[in-house]
Amino acid sequence: MTKCGVSVLTTGDEDEVSSCYEEHEWGKNRVKGREKEREKKKRGNARKKGASRAGRGDEELEERAERGEKGRRRRKRDNHDGKGRERDEEEQAEEKSGRAQEERDTEEGDAKRKKKNESAKREEKKEDGGKRAVKEKANAVKTKKHKKKSSEEEDVEEEEEEEKEKELRPESLSPEELEKLKEAVDEKKKLIQTLRGKPWPMKKKLSTLRESQEFLEKYEGALGKGKGRRLYAYKVMMTKKWMKFQRDFENFKTACIPWEMKIKEIESHFGSSVASYFIFLRWMYGINMILFGLTFGLVMVPEALMGRPYGSMPRKTVPRADEASAMDFAVLWDFGGYAQYSVLFYGYYNNQRAIGWLKFRMPLSYFLVGVGTVAYSYMVVIRTMARNANESGGGDDNSFNFSWKMFTSWDYLIGNPETADNKFASITTSFKEAILEEQESRKDDNIHLTRFLRVLANFLVMCCLAGSGYLIYFVVRRSQKFALDGLDNHSWWERNEVNMVMSLLGMFCPMLFDVISTLENYHPRIALQWQLGRIFALFLGNLYTFIIALMDEINLKRKEEEIVKFNMTVWEASLYNGTVPENSTAPPVTIHPADVPRGPCWETMVGQEFVRLIISDTMTTYITLLIGDFLRAVLVRFLNYCWCWDLEAGFPSYSEFDVSGNVLGLIFNQGMIWMGAFYAPCLPALNVLRLHVSMYLQCWAVMCCNVPQERVFKASGSNNFYMAMLLVILFLSTLPAIYTIVTIPPSFDCGPFSGKSRMFDVIQETLESDFPAWFSKVFSYASNPGLVLPFLLLMVLAIYYLQSTSKSFKEANVELKKKLQMARKAMTQAAEQQSNNNASPQAQKGEARSFLWWSEIGSSGIHGKKKKKKETFRALCKDLNVLL
Amino acid sequence: MVSPAIALAFLPLVVTLIIRYRYYFVLFYRAFLVRVWQDCATGLSREERAFQYVLTNATPGDPDSILEAFDQWCSKVEFISNIGPKKGKILDRLLMEQSPMTVLELGAHCGYSAVRMARCLPLGARLYSVEMDQRNATIAEKVIRLAGFDDDTVRGPSLKMHCTVDFVFMDHWKKCYLPDLQLLEGSGLLGKGSMILADNVLFPGAPNFLRYVRKSGLYEWRIHQATLEYIRGIRDGMAELVYQGIK
Repeated sequence: MTKCGVSVLTTGDEDEVSSCYEEHEWGKNRVKGREKEREKKKRGNARKKGASRAGRGDEELEERAERGEKGRRRRKRDNHDGKGRERDEEEQAEEKSGRAQEERDTEEGDAKRKKKNESAKREEKKEDGGKRAVKEKANAVKTKKHKKKSSEEEDVEEEEEEEKEKELRPESLSPEELEKLKEAVDEKKKLIQTLRGKPWPMKKKLSTLRESQEFLEKYEGALGKGKGRRLYAYKVMMTKKWMKFQRDFENFKTACIPWEMKIKEIESHFGSSVASYFIFLRWMYGINMILFGLTFGLVMVPEALMGRPYGSMPRKTVPRADEASAMDFAVLWDFGGYAQYSVLFYGYYNNQRAIGWLKFRMPLSYFLVGVGTVAYSYMVVIRTMARNANESGGGDDNSFNFSWKMFTSWDYLIGNPETADNKFASITTSFKEAILEEQESRKDDNIHLTRFLRVLANFLVMCCLAGSGYLIYFVVRRSQKFALDGLDNHSWWERNEVNMVMSLLGMFCPMLFDVISTLENYHPRIALQWQLGRIFALFLGNLYTFIIALMDEINLKRKEEEIVKFNMTVWEASLYNGTVPENSTAPPVTIHPADVPRGPCWETMVGQEFVRLIISDTMTTYITLLIGDFLRAVLVRFLNYCWCWDLEAGFPSYSEFDVSGNVLGLIFNQGMIWMGAFYAPCLPALNVLRLHVSMYLQCWAVMCCNVPQERVFKASGSNNFYMAMLLVILFLSTLPAIYTIVTIPPSFDCGPFSGKSRMFDVIQETLESDFPAWFSKVFSYASNPGLVLPFLLLMVLAIYYLQSTSKSFKEANVELKKKLQMARKAMTQAAEQQSNNNASPQAQKGEARSFLWWSEIGSSGIHGKKKKKKETFRALCKDLNVLL
Repeated sequence: MVSPAIALAFLPLVVTLIIRYRYYFVLFYRAFLVRVWQDCATGLSREERAFQYVLTNATPGDPDSILEAFDQWCSKVEFISNIGPKKGKILDRLLMEQSPMTVLELGAHCGYSAVRMARCLPLGARLYSVEMDQRNATIAEKVIRLAGFDDDTVRGPSLKMHCTVDFVFMDHWKKCYLPDLQLLEGSGLLGKGSMILADNVLFPGAPNFLRYVRKSGLYEWRIHQATLEYIRGIRDGMAELVYQGIK
């Protein structure tokens, strides 16, 4: 019951109202119960009438028990009606009965309080006897009506009647009473608004809120005057409906986000740093879906549908020599044979300018899609980075170290007791460490040792990187030697050596780095960043070694191509020489396309290499997951019954989820996609598949075989770090792709650009033949260096200007922060002085306020809103003035 | 035939494993290899060698000196899983706080922990020590005599007591922690407020024991984090249980 600051009349009313309300609600419940019945019958549930009626009786009993919760219930039920009772009513009833048990206790407490109230305010009630009488009359009418409800047919009409009653009743009140009612309504509204700041226990707050909302719901609609009343009620109703709809819509939206529930569950078990990986994975999936849509819709499908069919020309046919083995699984697994001569690879596409009845410009589309995917990726990554940068920032970790820890170190998303224990322990240790750090920062004796160890660690890592780089280089050289010998002479291991070695090094070196990084004794967040940087260097080195090897191979293929070209002319000449003299009138000899000699087509080779790399990478990831995590977990779990030490707590134990390694694996995988997508249009599709599978597989693996990290920490700052790495990788992976596109001439007999001297000539061609003359003229003017250079200069200037302004803003922010600190110091001094003078209540107030500011500063730091900080600062100054 | 390059790619894994689990390798070397070697070379058991060392290096009648000699031998020469000086301090503190009159020790081994506990007990207290192995028991007896305490060692399962035990120290087979605890509960030897201290609950570890303690609700429990005796870098813990009685 509300006791605070509400007028006597209202409290008097309240009892009355609530009793009325109970009646009203009671009736309604019964109606609902019957409606449920009918629903069940309609749905044809094979149930006996008697049994269900007994069930209804039970339900009613339960509902009677949970009157304390009515407001919420009723809303819920209304909501339910609105949705057309899609859900199973029974379930809800069960749920209710469960809750009713809980509510009973609180309800009893309420009842007791009610009684007290009544006794205390009985005298006051007598004063407004008139009013009471009116109410009682209304009550009486109501009860009569309720008694009438006996047959099931009437319930709809009854509801209508009830509504009428509700609307009618206020008219029976005098204007005075109406005025008072209005006041009470206003009072309640105010109460609801200020409820959050009241120093009450949560239970009381909740009950008060519920009661006030019920009250408002009941009387707000009745308050308009005369004609406007109906309109007003209608408006109120509509706003409520609208709000409800918005809330539902929000819920719907969250339900539509893919894998949201999975990620939330993981977040609750493992903290936000693990969840951030899965969010990143989902984001990546979205981007790859779009890339896939572009390549699939604009390149692969048109070529497959409208281009020339398989076998119509040499580039679309498996050569005669390979025909026998073209369908073997081993060949297909290596993406040779029929897979090589299909839309999956560059070489299959024809250089016909326009295909099909749509006159689809295939080469142009191929080129633009290649450029567009890269451009789109750049755009998305940079936009996300900018958005993240806006969100983060603001807070400084240095100045209020302990209060930061005090107020902000809990991860509120944790919902698992074990993780909560870990978090608790990690907070405690972080406090201990922070205290030790404070002490040590005053002593700083062992700094040389730490520095030495850090340098040593970096040296070791360098050695490791150099070793792995050399190993890959060695392997690549060897593979070239094998290629010269002919691949068939060597075993599977030797043929797949490069991929295997790259995957293995990518898997094991991070573990070594992890071990080495324990030497350095960094904070885990910083350690994570170092770790990421090192793995990044490793992967990058591996990737670039691979690319350099590919470049060598491209050069080899191009030499081969020259020879083939020469041989082709000889072959053609011999062909015609041989045929022409025999029969000059016969049509020219048709040669089956499979017999035509052809060039090596380096583009397809590059695409194949990338596809193989992706496949082997994916395989390694999954196998590691299955062996390293799942098998280990199974062994640990079941061998623990018969082992001489504790496997779970001791030596092998369960694995932790390796955030940094997984993120980097994802990023580099994406880099390979960006690199190879131009030469193998199937790569985005493969990647979508891979990401989809790994989403489910990793979600399962993390929940089933990993344990929460011992040092759980928040990953709020690391998202942009991932993005920055992704950007770097994007740049580094587009570099070789663009280099090959721009500098190396395309093969003469395969791919959409065959016959051109450079791939981008397709744009020139389109401009000349498909656009009016003036357009190409304008374009040539616009691409004139005299125009481009000033434009670039302007852009650079603009960037410089924006950067300098943002810097000045930052400085201003720092200034403000300093002032804030000064003010705080002055504030605490003043408070101390006052408390020294005499412990006046004002001093206490000051202290309380200063504490409030503390928390406010903390919260504004969390949200990182400059504006809010300024406001807080202003408010602080004002209060300071008042106090001093 | 696997190519050498692929084999070389496994090198980081091997190095990682060696570095990460180096303490376990050291432990394996000291506790197993050295022991087997010495057993073959001298023909004496490990405990007898330790006793010889103590006899030559410690002052008879001075428990501290005997403990120190043991520590010296265990950390420098060979390895015996005594409670060790660091965890021993926790034990000492608990005994000082509790000052129990009746103490039961399960697993005397070579008497190190018995001497350690006897040192901290109040006047008139009794310490019952149980050892399964006959040879170890004789050595433990000798060590206790050497330290100058009255010989109270009771052998075998003939343990019968009329009063309750105030303090139980468990350091025998880790698999037996749980059945013995249940036995103690069943026999009614535990009174309200009796303390049970179990060593090595994390390494080698007694998971079933801990699980039972957590679930049973009969005990107030906490785990003292420490490292394994005489070896750095292996985490271990002692479980301290206070019997609350059946509610």
